[in-house]
Amino acid sequence: MWRIAVVIACCFGLPRVGRADDGTLLSDDTWRYRPGGDLAVNAGLAFGFPAALPTGLATGLGAGVSVGQGLAWGARAAWVSATESSLAWTVTHSDLQLRVTGAVNRAAGRGTLGLRLGLGGTLVHESRLRNQGMRAGLTGSDLESSAYKMLPAADLDAIVALHVAGPWLLVTSGGPSLDVLDGKLRAGWNAQLGVAWQP
Amino acid sequence: MKRAVVVLALAGCGDLSGFGGAVPPLATVRAEVAGDFAAVRLPGKAPALRVALVWGAQWLTEPLCIRPPDDASAAAAIAAGCRDPFGFVPARVAVDAPLEADGSATLSLFDLPGADVMVGDVTARVAYASVVVYDDLDGNGTLSLGQPNRLNGRELGPPDTAPPAADTVYAASFVTMTEPDTRLAFREGAFNLGAAFYPRSGCGDPLPSFSLVSAGGFSAAEAIAAQLRGELPKEPPGTCREETTDAPVALTYRRPAELHEVACEELRTDSSIRYREPPSDQPDMTRRTMACAKIPDFGTGTASGTIQLVVSGRSDDACIGLTHYVLRGCRNDPMCALPQWDITATPPTWWPCPVSAVGQ
Repeated sequence: MWRIAVVIACCFGLPRVGRADDGTLLSDDTWRYRPGGDLAVNAGLAFGFPAALPTGLATGLGAGVSVGQGLAWGARAAWVSATESSLAWTVTHSDLQLRVTGAVNRAAGRGTLGLRLGLGGTLVHESRLRNQGMRAGLTGSDLESSAYKMLPAADLDAIVALHVAGPWLLVTSGGPSLDVLDGKLRAGWNAQLGVAWQP
Repeated sequence: MKRAVVVLALAGCGDLSGFGGAVPPLATVRAEVAGDFAAVRLPGKAPALRVALVWGAQWLTEPLCIRPPDDASAAAAIAAGCRDPFGFVPARVAVDAPLEADGSATLSLFDLPGADVMVGDVTARVAYASVVVYDDLDGNGTLSLGQPNRLNGRELGPPDTAPPAADTVYAASFVTMTEPDTRLAFREGAFNLGAAFYPRSGCGDPLPSFSLVSAGGFSAAEAIAAQLRGELPKEPPGTCREETTDAPVALTYRRPAELHEVACEELRTDSSIRYREPPSDQPDMTRRTMACAKIPDFGTGTASGTIQLVVSGRSDDACIGLTHYVLRGCRNDPMCALPQWDITATPPTWWPCPVSAVGQ
């Protein structure tokens, strides 16, 4: 009962006239271009060809950090996953892409164009499920199996970044990738669409 | 840091298989054949014995085959043209393997039985298979299922010609419910004995998924008596077994004449009959048994004593069956209101039966 009394007292005892907030979130300054600093952090949706599966589209999330402007170095990580089936198997590959990157960037208006080389490895987690195995009563390794493997890998990405608001940029990147699986070179591709923060 | 390096190093030792590598079978069945093959072997070229796993069909015999015959000629035609109503009827060959010199074979199943060979709904359904040893006479590497050799009718629809059984069966684990049998069962969900699919009343339920089930078999008289009581015939006590597929399936060579129906499939499994209009020229009745028989109506009087001519297959056919001729009727119903043919006024000269209906 006393709570109700407090609420009523606040309503009638502390009257205020409603007015607009002075601290507006958006202003003309918000959209004004200003060059960012050396540090850039980005994250977004990642797509690509699975590192070790012969088919499919891997999707997931990626993030990276770089330091520098014209010449930048940094690190990137992305986790993408793809599930595909054959008659006998349903195979899920989860790829954790870990790269050390070096990039060449050039400002162009509000945007930045760049070319980024990434070297590192892709940690592949494979999960295989024997189709119809549960119905047939299979258990253990006959039913499902999993394995990890680290593959040496490299990416070459073209980067387009657009300063949108304050320190925030819209960033897209993509390009070919290579990894080594069972001693053989495999070609693929990667792409990412996301945002970057460059204070 | 060191720990991360160790984890990554170990991770690198894994082996990715993708879609490759060996595919484990969903079930493996071992067959062991015993007996004197030479004693039962048919003359001919050197046999190429193989073992097949054959899923069974749900099949109902036609009414004429289970009704008391009208006379001796009808009884002879039934004996020559009706298959064992308790027998195993094949639906599909699932897998095939050569029989080794030591009389063993391993059948690896990589596919589950399809819904068309499983009886019951998705919460309780079962499929049964027979393990069959045969001579692959046509050399196609699989058991070729035959069909009854029925006579053609007059111009209505495509002829019902069927391939003869090309292979000779020498052993089967499940021939008929009136003999001891061992079957591969695939059970999904619960088990519904009331479905009466190759029933094993008195035995335990098949194990979930794949299992081998055995029963001692009941007599035809016991089956009829149980049916009259509204029950399923009981398997003899102590003859039932339900075990995993780790156990081998034991088979014994038998004379092919005792087993030919194991490789004979049926186009119609619901006891319905395809009636034919008799052709104007007499069909070749060589080595066939025929009889004039009333169309069975189980006492309802709907058939009004209408007579049909039933003709068995040839005595040397691998698969037996009956051809049904009527002077008036439709393909699926001889008593249809609007007959597809009516030649009662002008029956063929060779027609051996009464033209008009006879009293019941």
